[in-house]
Amino acid sequence: MKDLVRMRTSLKEEIERILNEQIKMEAHSSAIYLAMAAWCDRNGFDYSAGYFYKQSEEERKHMLKIFNYVSDMGGHAISPEITNVPQDFDGFRDIFELALQQEIAVTNSINRIVGTARQLNDFATDQFMQWFVNEQIEEEYVARRAVELFDVIGEEGVGRYMIDKAIPKISYDGGAEAE
Amino acid sequence: MSNTHSLTELFANAKGTTYQCDTTNRIIIQFGEARVSLRISDFLTFKKRVDSVDIHTMIFNTDDAYDVEVIDAPRTDYLFVLNLCDLIALRDLLAGTRFVLDLNTLLHERLCSTLVY
Repeated sequence: MKDLVRMRTSLKEEIERILNEQIKMEAHSSAIYLAMAAWCDRNGFDYSAGYFYKQSEEERKHMLKIFNYVSDMGGHAISPEITNVPQDFDGFRDIFELALQQEIAVTNSINRIVGTARQLNDFATDQFMQWFVNEQIEEEYVARRAVELFDVIGEEGVGRYMIDKAIPKISYDGGAEAE
Repeated sequence: MSNTHSLTELFANAKGTTYQCDTTNRIIIQFGEARVSLRISDFLTFKKRVDSVDIHTMIFNTDDAYDVEVIDAPRTDYLFVLNLCDLIALRDLLAGTRFVLDLNTLLHERLCSTLVY
């Protein structure tokens, strides 16, 4: 008797389900970053707006990367429905703290996928997700550094202007300084 | 599992039987008078549709509209019109079928390991 399920897809049902959840999460992140960009634009933080537009685009690329993987493996990739996107925020600093929380949530979710893939001996998905594991190191670093700038520079006087200018310059060198 | 030509019986209950056809790579659902043949991806979609019906509402809502559920089988012209008992029996049939399909995958994995070593 042919194995029709395996002939259709190499993804187990549970893996397909959690990858589709991750697709939704990345799409939701992209939408949140877009809302943050709009808020920054409305409030005169032009550089930060540019940073969030870029972040939004990146999250969409992440979503598509997983979406293509599910489809390529013969699975059913689900185009996500995005709701509950906050459109207003309490303040400049609040936005960056929220962005950091969002990145932490994404990291946790990716770790769970890797854990499940290993549990189910799905080495292809495990390998595929390693790119995201590395990506999250950078994403979290950048988001954490952005929040740090509020303490380092301070918000008084021209502080916010300076922070806004410094935001797009944050980059992660992958620990190169230790080499 | 008994073989009838290229059909392999997957699962049966009081209301129906499912088969796998290795010639067409399709799952055949015989449920009461209905007989539909689905590709594996359509079978899984159909199962999701059947599983997503809110049985609790069907039981407790007295409105006539909740007496039956109409579910179409993907890429067929057939509509399943199901009362509560039918729905539960169909769910049982599809769940049993899914279990056998997964069991088959597991056996294939183990069998391949045995052949290699």
